[in-house]
Amino acid sequence: MSNPDMKFLIVDDFSTMRRIVRGLLKELGYNNAEEAEDGVAALNLLKNTKFDFVVSDINMPNMNGFELLAAIKAEASLKHIPVLMVTAEARKEDIVRAAQDGAAGYIVKPFTKATLEEKVQKIMQKLAATA
Amino acid sequence: MKMENTAVLANPAQAQAAASPEVFQQLGLITRQLHDTLHQLGVMPKLQNAANGLPDARSRLNYIAEKTGAAANKVLNSVDQAKNEHNAIASETRRIAAAIVADPVKAVATGSVMNFVSDVEAATARIDKHLTDIMMAQDFHDLTGQVVAKVVSLAADLEDSLVKLLVQAAPPEQAQKVEASLLAGPVVNPEGRTDVVANQGEVDDLLASLGF
Repeated sequence: MSNPDMKFLIVDDFSTMRRIVRGLLKELGYNNAEEAEDGVAALNLLKNTKFDFVVSDINMPNMNGFELLAAIKAEASLKHIPVLMVTAEARKEDIVRAAQDGAAGYIVKPFTKATLEEKVQKIMQKLAATA
Repeated sequence: MKMENTAVLANPAQAQAAASPEVFQQLGLITRQLHDTLHQLGVMPKLQNAANGLPDARSRLNYIAEKTGAAANKVLNSVDQAKNEHNAIASETRRIAAAIVADPVKAVATGSVMNFVSDVEAATARIDKHLTDIMMAQDFHDLTGQVVAKVVSLAADLEDSLVKLLVQAAPPEQAQKVEASLLAGPVVNPEGRTDVVANQGEVDDLLASLGF
């Protein structure tokens, strides 16, 4: 069962997309979310604030989504946080790489509220089952 | 390049001394051939035109980014405000319904029902204005669509020139790969391609096939 108090970090260089994801999460009952415009900003936030879930784009300046994913999985205090990639990248090699690097899910843009809901719930159920 | 030639190039003084008129003549010939080849291919004038158009394309793309960003923010602001109005009406409806169920006469006599009716009327007028704002925000599509068409035309010219140049300059075994190279970002046309997915279902199938 999803916890409405879960804290999300939305990482995307487009403020519009951050706002859309935040709005959708709010409609799904998750009101606790913060935003970062690239991987560097996200990593700083992650190191200073406790987050339960990361939703990240791939193509971003400074530190892209793959680099952020690697940094999260390399940090002992962060590697438990599920990372859902939400991106326009539709190349199979990117999808496979994300999965192999430890992403918890992969959504291609444009996407629907139902897809986001399904992926978030699936990831949370998987985490609950392994906890 | 032979070793002795490399050594000569490393020392400009020696290179100047060693350079014979034949070398300069040969270089001039190669340059001339390259120039003529590019002209025969029609690359040079098109490439120059396309290059001249790049600053214009940059400003056009900035214009698109600004217009679409402004429209997106306008729409999201209007949606936020309309949702707040909608939530207020829903909440007030539940409250007045409870009041009517509890004591219908009192609900009417105290003016609660009429106040609710006028509140709803005012709120719907405000929501209608937000919907109109959302509709009007879509005007960016017409404006940016025209700009996009011009930038696409410029990009096509540039691509055509560069591909010709690249195919001409690349080794034969590499030339065929040139047109297959891809840029990162959204896949606009996935039909017929095996290296990309076309929708979320294919993403899920791919991950499932790999055991994720």
